[in-house]
Amino acid sequence: MIPFLTTIPAAPILLAALVDHVPGIFFGLPLVALASLVFAATHHEDPAEIRFATVHWAVWLGGILGLVLAAVLLLGWFS
Amino acid sequence: MARGSDILLASARDKTKTPRIVAVSPDDGSAIDLRNPALAAVLAWAVPGLGHLYQGRVFKGRLFMGAILGTFLAGMWLGGGKVVYASWKPGDTRWAFVCQAGAGLVAMPAVVQALQLHGVAKQPLFGSMFMAPPLVAGQYVSRGYADRLASADQDIDAEDFFDRPPLKQFRGEQVSHWQRRLGRWFDIGTLYTMLAGMLNVLVIYDAWAGPLGTPTDADRKSRSALQKT
Repeated sequence: MIPFLTTIPAAPILLAALVDHVPGIFFGLPLVALASLVFAATHHEDPAEIRFATVHWAVWLGGILGLVLAAVLLLGWFS
Repeated sequence: MARGSDILLASARDKTKTPRIVAVSPDDGSAIDLRNPALAAVLAWAVPGLGHLYQGRVFKGRLFMGAILGTFLAGMWLGGGKVVYASWKPGDTRWAFVCQAGAGLVAMPAVVQALQLHGVAKQPLFGSMFMAPPLVAGQYVSRGYADRLASADQDIDAEDFFDRPPLKQFRGEQVSHWQRRLGRWFDIGTLYTMLAGMLNVLVIYDAWAGPLGTPTDADRKSRSALQKT
């Protein structure tokens, strides 16, 4: 327990070091998840329905953004 | 849970009570007591999720509070605390703040800091750099704030100011220092805080008028089929 607690002050530093090595595109994933969650929760009241709709919206949003990204990458590749 | 129509009928029968404003859940048709929708909307803007907690919609209140505030604070952290500021100077109008302000009181120190820096004091509140707008070339600041920047900001030193008693005049562009130092994190942090503010607009609407969803018969059939499997 004590060794675990002693690591806590260093956690933000470790996290910051880790974050520096993550490609920028992955920072879009939490935003897709957040948008899906808020969109689902503002359309439903029941927690089970909110979960269902979150996945539904995340698939749609991720799919559309993935297609746009693929199109941009293809255009870059052909040019 | 009482159905919306039951509550409306009960209110109509009891003339002594003020009719309650309700919305109907799109999931099971139950009534959602919106209490005072205008107050709920103001609370939802002030602190994301607070309007729902006031209405007794605890699950959604906690969900919105965690999601919106968490994303806003994550954006602040990723952007080194520099991405939320209000500025309406020509050439440095911070349009992103229009979206960030949607997150509520958590973004409001930026307005106070901008008013203080451009006001008589010529320095942010308590001389703090928290959410203070960046200085532009030719901007006058108090001597105390100039000294504080020269000692605390690693990109600024005393030679970056002209001495103009009783003030000092900045001769650089602080926002370019921030962008050079933070790189992509400045944009990522800005995006996170902007999205948090924009999504809170949906949350405010939900607190004011109830859920947006109106499921179609096809939705209901597909869900019941899914539940059976």
